Amino acid sequence: MKRSKTLIAQALSTLKENMERTGDPLGFRHTYWTEWANGLGLPKGGKTVLLTARMYQMLPYVIQTTDMVASIKPLLAIKGFGKVLSMGNRLAGETVIRLKAIGAKKIKARGTKALKGIISALNSVGEYPAYLYEAEPYSGVLLYDLGLEDGIALHINKVYELLKDHGVEEVIAVDPHTTFMMKEIYPKYIKNYDIRVKHYLEVLSEGKENLGNTSHKDLPKEFVMHDSCVMTRDLGIVECPICLINLMKYEAELGVRVWDMGEILHAALVNPSSK
Amino acid sequence: MNKKNAAKETLLKEIAKCRSCRFCVDVCPTYQASEGVESMSAYGRLQLIKYLLTGILEFDDSLTYCLYSCLQCRRCEVVCKSKGQDIDICKIIQMGRSLLSQNLVQGNSNEKI
Repeated sequence: MKRSKTLIAQALSTLKENMERTGDPLGFRHTYWTEWANGLGLPKGGKTVLLTARMYQMLPYVIQTTDMVASIKPLLAIKGFGKVLSMGNRLAGETVIRLKAIGAKKIKARGTKALKGIISALNSVGEYPAYLYEAEPYSGVLLYDLGLEDGIALHINKVYELLKDHGVEEVIAVDPHTTFMMKEIYPKYIKNYDIRVKHYLEVLSEGKENLGNTSHKDLPKEFVMHDSCVMTRDLGIVECPICLINLMKYEAELGVRVWDMGEILHAALVNPSSK
Repeated sequence: MNKKNAAKETLLKEIAKCRSCRFCVDVCPTYQASEGVESMSAYGRLQLIKYLLTGILEFDDSLTYCLYSCLQCRRCEVVCKSKGQDIDICKIIQMGRSLLSQNLVQGNSNEKI
């Protein structure tokens, strides 16, 4: 609780600045978010697109960033350090975070499997979404969650324009937060908002009888389902299984292997022997 | 009335609907994690926002921590609704954060909201 005010003020300022400068919450100029799609041959444009919103891909970097912030927390109480840190982050943050995140190969691989599993499952029910690769925008959900209202309107308009420029009519989101943001919050800021938004599990549940042949041999025998607050209470989606991405960070602490739904789909549909 | 004052008025009106039954306190995961600190519950946060808005409190480390630690899970709202009230608690906390965030980003961290 000590120094919370300074720490939160610094985090908010950095986030806002990163978003304004690069459109990315971590301030990455270059994109590391498209590697998962290598070899899948996803079309670069179409009326229906899969929006990863970088959530799975960001996980290794977010873990490194939070570790770094925790390690320098005592320094934040020093007057003026926040400014120095902000400048340092602008100059070297991306390189440092990227280098440190290289070690998080396992969690990166799991994110990739999860996304591939989602694509495979969507294909099984006859849905072949496009992917915008480097052009894919970030939804801005962190700005909204943290109450940075000033920055949100501008960001939402930019994202909407980008999607319209790419001829997008329907978005399939992979996480509940992006789904909530684009389904419930975007229409409040954009007059005549006309992009249809669905979570991928909604799409799967509509065509579940077509899911095709699945392999059960590599699936976990027991698993715990996470009751996602956003899915059930913000979106009112209660009948689909849900996303476990947030719990993956706490596996060691909880002493359990948390399976994301995308990973389960990957094990069942893409490559049954890979874990 | 400017946008900020209108937001403050809306917040105070919404908070005034709370009957202080405190049924939302026990279900709050951050209240449970803090082992019973009421400021870390939904009800506690509404009170903090009310006193911040009326100028009785100024934000410090503890109050900032309490407001930003809300998970926005809406468990409090389920209980609130089932007890005959229907207060949009998470929206109030979100709006409180919004007022606070503007000050924090602008570096006016010692001002009242």
